[in-house]
Amino acid sequence: MLNLAGVQLESPLLLGTGKFASAAQLMAAVTASGTELVTLAMKRLDLQHQSDDILTPLQQLGVRLLPNTSGAKTASEAIFAAELAREALGTHWLKLEIHPDPRYLLPDPIETLQAAHELVKRGFVVLPYCPADPVLCKRLEEAGCAAVMPLGAPIGSNQGLQTLAMLEIIIEQATVPVIIDAGLGAPSHACQALELGASAVLVNTAIASAADPVAMATGFRLACQAGVHARRSGLAATSSQAHASSPLTHFLETL
Amino acid sequence: MRITLNQQPQQLAEPCTLQQLVEQLQLNPNGLALAINQTVISKREWARTTLQPDDQVAAFQIVTGG
Repeated sequence: MLNLAGVQLESPLLLGTGKFASAAQLMAAVTASGTELVTLAMKRLDLQHQSDDILTPLQQLGVRLLPNTSGAKTASEAIFAAELAREALGTHWLKLEIHPDPRYLLPDPIETLQAAHELVKRGFVVLPYCPADPVLCKRLEEAGCAAVMPLGAPIGSNQGLQTLAMLEIIIEQATVPVIIDAGLGAPSHACQALELGASAVLVNTAIASAADPVAMATGFRLACQAGVHARRSGLAATSSQAHASSPLTHFLETL
Repeated sequence: MRITLNQQPQQLAEPCTLQQLVEQLQLNPNGLALAINQTVISKREWARTTLQPDDQVAAFQIVTGG
């Protein structure tokens, strides 16, 4: 079970809502994934072409909404976006993300830490998307963040846990939930993250860009269940040598 | 009175509150956030916030994203 700022969530799967072909497909994927927390973004209103209302159907599904600060390149932009998001959705939960470089969309650790300090002071529940840096994750935790969200690989790259060794250290040291965000491309990646001891994963592109997003949402839900069960069960030890699992009696030698 | 809304000029009858602006433009308030001159205005203040000439209003809405 995931505990975020005192709120218990049964599902360890957080779902990003971008890139789906339609609102109906998104809603079906949300339901199939079993998620209880979905991310949303902010953008400047286009007065000529107003977007479809995706908020009402999500609110009707009863999932929690987590706005992000995507598009912010600095701490001050992220703080402004956070204030907007708080007003737009009436929630003080926030996925803080600051990635100035559009090619790799890697989070800026300095701006992120600075923004985290200020947003915690302003009463936000801050969930920062961050590099898989154990020192930074501890600093974010000390700043009062409710979780840390280190990346597995660049956003939307579907490369899986490229940062595995660092994620293991982050998970071992953390006293807040660790949510692996970005780069998870297959259900097996989500399963692996949860087997490692991550509290949750956030997935968007791997589901939304699959040939059948709703079926893939089911795949991720099941993989997350498998990962949580595996972690709770205590994985068996690995070794470099074989250990027989059948009796090695010599009953054939007399033939 | 002339203001700008998302950098587009808008001509408004005076006085005009933020709430009236939202209604005139038929904006969906669900998921909407407004700022005047870079200051975010809380929804509960919209009806009490009167726009001034040359105000720069920025309107943002919630959209899908990861």
